[in-house]
Amino acid sequence: MISFLFFSIRRAWQGFWRNALMSMAATATMVLMLLLLAGFFIIQAGLLAGLQFTEQKVEVVAYLESTATDAQVASLQAKIEAMPEVDTVTYITRDVALQRFREQMKAQGREDLTQALDSNPLYASLEVKLVDPSAIRVVGDALRGEQVVRNVINIEALVDRVLTVTNVLRTAGTVLLLVVGIIALFIIVNTIRLAVVARAEEIEIMRLVGASDAFIRWPFVFEGAFVGFLGAAITLAVLAAAAEPLNAFMVDFFRVLPLQMGSMTRDIVTLVVGTGVGLGILGSWLSVRTYLIR
Amino acid sequence: MTIAPAPSTARSLRRRILDRGGRDQAVPDRAVLVLHDVTKRYPNGKIALRDIDLVIPEGDFVFLVGPSGAGKSTLIKLLIRDEIATRGDVVLDGQDLARLPRRQVPRMRRKIGIIFQDFKLLPTKTVWENVAFALEVTGYPRRQIRPAVDQVLAIVGLSAQAKQTPNQLSGGEQQRTAIARALVHDPRLIIADEPTGNLDPLISWEILQLLLRINELGVTVLMATHNAEVVTALRKRVVALEEGRIIRDEVGGAYHRED
Repeated sequence: MISFLFFSIRRAWQGFWRNALMSMAATATMVLMLLLLAGFFIIQAGLLAGLQFTEQKVEVVAYLESTATDAQVASLQAKIEAMPEVDTVTYITRDVALQRFREQMKAQGREDLTQALDSNPLYASLEVKLVDPSAIRVVGDALRGEQVVRNVINIEALVDRVLTVTNVLRTAGTVLLLVVGIIALFIIVNTIRLAVVARAEEIEIMRLVGASDAFIRWPFVFEGAFVGFLGAAITLAVLAAAAEPLNAFMVDFFRVLPLQMGSMTRDIVTLVVGTGVGLGILGSWLSVRTYLIR
Repeated sequence: MTIAPAPSTARSLRRRILDRGGRDQAVPDRAVLVLHDVTKRYPNGKIALRDIDLVIPEGDFVFLVGPSGAGKSTLIKLLIRDEIATRGDVVLDGQDLARLPRRQVPRMRRKIGIIFQDFKLLPTKTVWENVAFALEVTGYPRRQIRPAVDQVLAIVGLSAQAKQTPNQLSGGEQQRTAIARALVHDPRLIIADEPTGNLDPLISWEILQLLLRINELGVTVLMATHNAEVVTALRKRVVALEEGRIIRDEVGGAYHRED
C-alpha cells in the first residue's frame, strides 16, 4: 500500500515533468480559470456586502407626541425592542433632534433660523433598526397602533422597491458565480482530458503489459491533483500580490463596507485550493476512466 | 489494491538459458492456448471469426497467416481479452477468459507478451526504461527490476543501447526493445502481430532468429504475419485464416497451400 502510494506519486511527478508542455498548459488554464472564479467570488462578496449595507440603512422612524411622558416612551421602547424583527431602538429626544437639525443646517452652510424660535419645534422620535428590512410593515403597523406615536414615516413602498432591486442583484450575482463556476469546471476538466489523451499510448501500453486499473489510474489522479494544487498556489500568489491595491480600491469605491477581510481570505483560499485540486482529480479520474472501461 | 507477488522472472529465465537444448520438446500434453468452437460477432453484426478450434501446446511456434480482414487481429484481441468471444471458449493457461473477472484480466495479461508492427515504445523513455516500465506499472518490487531488465536486454542483444531513446535506434533495434519488454514478465505466450511488417528483409530475419531463440528457451510463440518468405522457409506450424475460418492447420507448412 505504502509502496503503491510512493509509486503513484513518483509516476505522477515524472508524468508532470516529462510532459512539461501539456502540464504547463493545463496549469496555466487552471490558473486563469481560478483567477476568474476568485475574481467573481470577490465581486460577489462586495456586492452582497453592499446590498447588506443598503438594507441596513432602512429604519422605521416614529415621531412621538409632545405630551408623551418619559415612562410612556421607555415602555414603548422596551415593547418595540422585544419584537423579534427589531434590531435596535434609539430614542431621539427633542433636544437631540434640534441639535441634529442645527448640525445639518451648519453642514449645508445655511443660516440657523431656529435661533429665532423661542421653543423647540421638533418632535422626539424612535429610530428603529430592523433585523430584516422586509419586516418594515409589521414594525410600522405596531408603532402606528400606539397612543404616544404621532405618526410613522411611510417608506414601505420605497423599501419594497429597494428590496426588489437588491434581491434581483443578489440572485443575479449568485447565478453569475455559478455560471462562471460551471465554465471553469468544463474548461479545467477538458484541459486535463487533453493532457491525458496525449498519453493514450502510454495507457494502452500499461494495459497491454498487464497493469491493473489502480496502477494506471492513481498516477494520473495524483498528477491532476498536483496540477490543481500548483494552479491554486499560483492563483493565490497572484491574488496576494493584487490584494493591497485591490483592497484600497474596494475601500475607496464602496466607502465603509462591512467587508470582513479575514473570513473572506479564508473563503478564497478554500475556494481556490478546493476547486483546483478537486477539479484536477475529477478531470483525471474521468479522463482515465474512458480508457479503463472496456 | 494488492501488489502482485513477483514472478520469478530472473531465476526462471536464467534456468532456461542454462537448460536450453535439454528441453527441445517441451511437455507435450500441456496446452498454453485452447480455442473451442469460438465465434466472434461484433455489435455491428459483422462476424469476424466462425467456429474456431485451435490448440497450441506449450513450446509451440505457430504462424498465423491469412489475408487482411481474415480475422487475425480479432483472434489476437480475444487472446488478450480486449474482446470477448460471442460463443465458445478461449482458454489461456487453463483460464477461461470469458469467465475471468475483469479485475483478474491484468494478471492474466502478464502471462502474455505482445509485440506489434509499430513497436509501441514510449518515445520519452530510454530502452532500459521502456522495458522497466512493464515491471514498474505492474507493481514489481523496485530492487528486482534492474537485474530482470538487464537480463532480457542481454537476451535480445541490446545491453549496449540501454541508455538510448527509441528514436536513436534502428527499426530492428526498436522491435528488439519491444521483444525485451514482452519477455520481461516471463510470459507463457508471446503474441507477435506482424512484428516484421515495418522492417526490411534482413532485419526481419534477425527478428525471426530472436523469436526462434526465445521459443527454444521454452516460450510459446504465436506470430501473425504476411511475410510468406519467412513462413515458407521455416516450416513451422501454420494456421491459415480466411473469412473468419481456419482453412488450414499444418505442421511444417508453407505460407500458401501446397497441394
